[in-house]
Amino acid sequence: MKAYTKKLTALAFSMVMVSALFTGCSDDKGATEAAKTASTNTGNVYKEKYDPPVTISTVWGVDPELKFKNGENIENNVATKWAKDTLGIDIKSLWSVTDTNNAFATKLRLSMASGQQMPDVVTVGDAQLAQDLIDSGMFQDAGALFDKYASDTWKKAMAQDPNVWNTYMRDGKRMGIPVLDYAYNHDYILWIRQDWLDKLGLAAPKTIDELEKVMEAFKNNNPDGLKPEDVIPLSIGFKTTMNTWMGDPSWIFGAYGTIPQQWNKGADGKLEYGSINPAMKQGLVKLNEWYNKGFIPKEAALWDENKTSEPAVAGKAGILPGPYWMSGWPLSDTVKNVKSAVWKPIALPTGPDGKAGRHGTQFTNGVTLISTQMEHPEAFFTYQNYMFKNLADSQPGGVFDNGLFKGYDYDMDASGKALRYEDIPGGYVNSIRYLLVRDGARIPDAQMKALLNLADGKEATTRLEKEVKLNYGLDTPAAAKVLMSQEGIAYPNLYTGPTTTTMKSKMDYLNKIENQSLNEIIYGKQPADSFDKFVESWKSSGGDQITKEVNDWYSQLNTK
Amino acid sequence: MKHLKRNWPLHLMLVPSLIFLIVFSLVPMGGIVMAFQNYKPFLGFTKSAWVGLDNFRALFERQDSIEVIWNTLIISGLKIIFNLLAPFTFALLLNEVRKAFFKRFVQTLVYLPHFLSWVILGGILLDVLSTDGGFVNQILTSLFGIKPIFFLGDNNWFRFTVIVSDVWKEFGFGTIVFLAALANVNPSLYEAAEIDGASRWKQTLHITIPSMLPIAVVVGTLALGNILNAGFDQIFNLYNPLVYQKGDIIDTFVYRTAILNGEMGLGTAIGLFKSVISMVLILVSYRLAYKLANYRIF
Amino acid sequence: MYHKTKAYRLFSVINTIVLIILSLLCIIPLIHVLAVSFSSKAAADANLVSLWPVNFSLEAYKKTIDNPVFLHSIWVSVKRTVIGTGLTLLLSFMAAYPLSKENSVFKGRNFYSWLFVFTMIFSGGLVPFYIVIQKLHLMDSFWVLVLPGAVNVYLTILLMNFFRGIPKELEEAAFIDGAGHFRTLFSIFLPVSLPSIATLALFSVVFHWNSWFDGLLYMNNSKSFPLATFLQTVIVQKDMSSMSINPKEFELLSQKTVNAAQIFIGALPVLLVYPFLQKYFVKGLVMGSVKE
Repeated sequence: MKAYTKKLTALAFSMVMVSALFTGCSDDKGATEAAKTASTNTGNVYKEKYDPPVTISTVWGVDPELKFKNGENIENNVATKWAKDTLGIDIKSLWSVTDTNNAFATKLRLSMASGQQMPDVVTVGDAQLAQDLIDSGMFQDAGALFDKYASDTWKKAMAQDPNVWNTYMRDGKRMGIPVLDYAYNHDYILWIRQDWLDKLGLAAPKTIDELEKVMEAFKNNNPDGLKPEDVIPLSIGFKTTMNTWMGDPSWIFGAYGTIPQQWNKGADGKLEYGSINPAMKQGLVKLNEWYNKGFIPKEAALWDENKTSEPAVAGKAGILPGPYWMSGWPLSDTVKNVKSAVWKPIALPTGPDGKAGRHGTQFTNGVTLISTQMEHPEAFFTYQNYMFKNLADSQPGGVFDNGLFKGYDYDMDASGKALRYEDIPGGYVNSIRYLLVRDGARIPDAQMKALLNLADGKEATTRLEKEVKLNYGLDTPAAAKVLMSQEGIAYPNLYTGPTTTTMKSKMDYLNKIENQSLNEIIYGKQPADSFDKFVESWKSSGGDQITKEVNDWYSQLNTK
Repeated sequence: MKHLKRNWPLHLMLVPSLIFLIVFSLVPMGGIVMAFQNYKPFLGFTKSAWVGLDNFRALFERQDSIEVIWNTLIISGLKIIFNLLAPFTFALLLNEVRKAFFKRFVQTLVYLPHFLSWVILGGILLDVLSTDGGFVNQILTSLFGIKPIFFLGDNNWFRFTVIVSDVWKEFGFGTIVFLAALANVNPSLYEAAEIDGASRWKQTLHITIPSMLPIAVVVGTLALGNILNAGFDQIFNLYNPLVYQKGDIIDTFVYRTAILNGEMGLGTAIGLFKSVISMVLILVSYRLAYKLANYRIF
Repeated sequence: MYHKTKAYRLFSVINTIVLIILSLLCIIPLIHVLAVSFSSKAAADANLVSLWPVNFSLEAYKKTIDNPVFLHSIWVSVKRTVIGTGLTLLLSFMAAYPLSKENSVFKGRNFYSWLFVFTMIFSGGLVPFYIVIQKLHLMDSFWVLVLPGAVNVYLTILLMNFFRGIPKELEEAAFIDGAGHFRTLFSIFLPVSLPSIATLALFSVVFHWNSWFDGLLYMNNSKSFPLATFLQTVIVQKDMSSMSINPKEFELLSQKTVNAAQIFIGALPVLLVYPFLQKYFVKGLVMGSVKE
């Protein structure tokens, strides 16, 4: 038998050699091609419409919920047809993958590894993937192209937060074009059962102390007659993180002056990791107290975001933290279970020093990269400039005044009145997602402006106002107003750079001990003072080094 | 030469399988070089930087390395044992059922949970095992007067919960292979035993169990190939900060550090480590079976 | 005789009760999932459903089945399951026979069987595999679902062990009659090992029917997805942190009910296969008849 295992090992090794040779060739080919084409793309002119048509190749990570009608698909649909007819741009799809379980990132990495053709233009949401792609050197200085070709509308939109470029800087070059998103989309407020408050004769809580009184009343004197053990006054969860979007507990720490699990500006002007700020301790003590009193779910440590909405929709929870758009989904379903339920948005309560805080939202949700091999990079700007002008900044009477494509994301009845989306013949499909850059084009502050206009009782006139009115939950404008009443309290995550060396090797362990310590304090398994011990070990296990790296990046940023 | 002449059909029968194995398994094994590289997709195998054993260090030089590896071994070891014992016992019980309809009915029902995903089961377990009015705790409290047990959030209970729920999910499916072994038993053996006046218990002991044992040994040995796979889907859906200490396993660690970050070198290195350990264990149990029972598992 | 003793009758009663309880334990969660799949979104999202649908609704099934890709994906799955299982069975059957020989009879079997086990334990990972698939031009082809997994070492080893249980006399008799290895395999081994092959078939069918990751990775678009892949993509993972928001989409979906419905749509065909294969498990059916 020994002889055989030896042979086996030998065989295995020879296989290793064979396949190494086998795969080696593909890489060389890719590299030479890149070198060859880098120099050819000069002398193109920006046009409004290209004749003969130019081609932009791309790859798609298709959102699982994206639907198609009329036998279309992502390669070939109303949007690709439109681009060809209107702009003379042929969108060529190299491949597409339904983006579930990280499939898009995996497939893109694999296709890179196997030397497949890289797309001219690719939009990526996954931060790490974006960094890897930039590092590959296959993509060009998009910032320079942006300066040269982008329209004023787009440039102005981008200028609303110049920090959006930070993530994609390499040696002073902007290697990707950030995909802008609406501001404040993930900033949260508190949603509270107004009907319970009314029946109890209580006002909306403004401070943590008042909040405790309200929770006490919700639980022990429940207006719907629920038994105390059935009520969850405040539905939050922290299965994976304390800094999330729904059922988020981070504002409790915000009331004492920090936001966990992100990088905030410390007292000395340097960046500090929020979870090691001493203010955390006060928040943890509070949460432990609430846990003991039954104000938060007994199993909050096991609950993810969706789970926190369950008791809210079931009519058993009094307060649910979450974004301003939640009055549509999920809260609108509550009345189907409890007829008298009324959810209203309220501002975040303040702590003993009058502080309040929540995490902020980046103005961007991804990046578009432009290949060095792209023959007509200006065509991409033709496309996007059109979108910024006509879709993002749509004016009454404009081409996309009612929506993007008739019969897809909007439709009219015989009298020319816009239909609600569920009445569109053949069904609503979100054709905006067929566009080259996901969501077409968005101007960060546009959504909030539209909502505030509506909240002030203005008629819906622009596309965005109409869309918000037709499709969002009824309380959305009011919630937006509540959100903006506390505009200054948001802590944006100030570190948006690539994963640093020490982060790569240590961050997972640090996250682990952090989650563990914080949860154990909340559950009373450790005394509050063990927080200091956690901070000690966080710092000594690599945290200090990471802080240094993060600040190096940050200071470099400010000098430029 | 004479040997080859006589046995050429035997070699020939293996050829199709070998072709498939070479193309789809042995050739790709060249990728194992990634374990020693800081692999970057755009650089490929030839140009990615060689980093020696750095990727292995990432697994072994963490403060919680031992904890994680130990958790993996315990959870998967116990799973292997109970996922062998439970179907084995169940097949024996089922073998005693005379009514064919009832037998088939039970058989069909118990194999259903195999088709549930852990995403769904995770949600169900969260409710059923809740300390706040969950079904299981209600029964424990009313029948035995025990204080509610935090099955999913208590370091003393988490592994227990993981193993029991996994056995519950898989025992029905695992029974199938034993039923096939039983179907192969020659009925004349039982007839002869009965004529000799052997009791049913004796028949089980001397005919039924021995006829299932070889398959049990094979299944058990092959399961050792998974000794460092403690069940990613399950743990990932069930674990939480309160039980990291006893519940974090190699695969969840790989997911967080390698998969999510696209660190292919690290992923390959850990995969290689797991394979080597599995291979060693399989070798050992192969030798044991051969020495003790003179039986070649494969 | 034995089943007439008092002790055995008592055992039978207890055994029946135990089996019933176990069956119930297995079926109740499924009933719950079934109930959720037929409930309204509002009730399911509020976790109000236990064992009976609340506000009966077919929405979840409609959402899945309404997709034009759905029917085609079933066809792809049937095709891959039938062809894939057939191929796996054939290969395992042919490979298990020589491997079941003693090393003294078939020199080289130890080498082969270790090679098989080696490929089961070690793997080069996704990257080189993907490259091989690409070089063979299997990308976006139906055959990528069938060929790479055609050899199932685990099943081959199982079958090899079943083969060893076949009485040597059968084989020797065949040789004396002048049969070669191939004829012995197909005319003697095949009929007596039907229960084992049924087991293998079941494992292979379940494997093929449930595999989804290969479809997702190697198919260039959803038109050629098998059912399992398609169903995987119907479920939306709501990861808000990196997603732009379209509230319209939220209103249209409930992860819970669709998830639940998906299980039944996906698993039903396999569940139906099982009782059909079960008849091969009837004890001793084949062995007995061969003996005479």
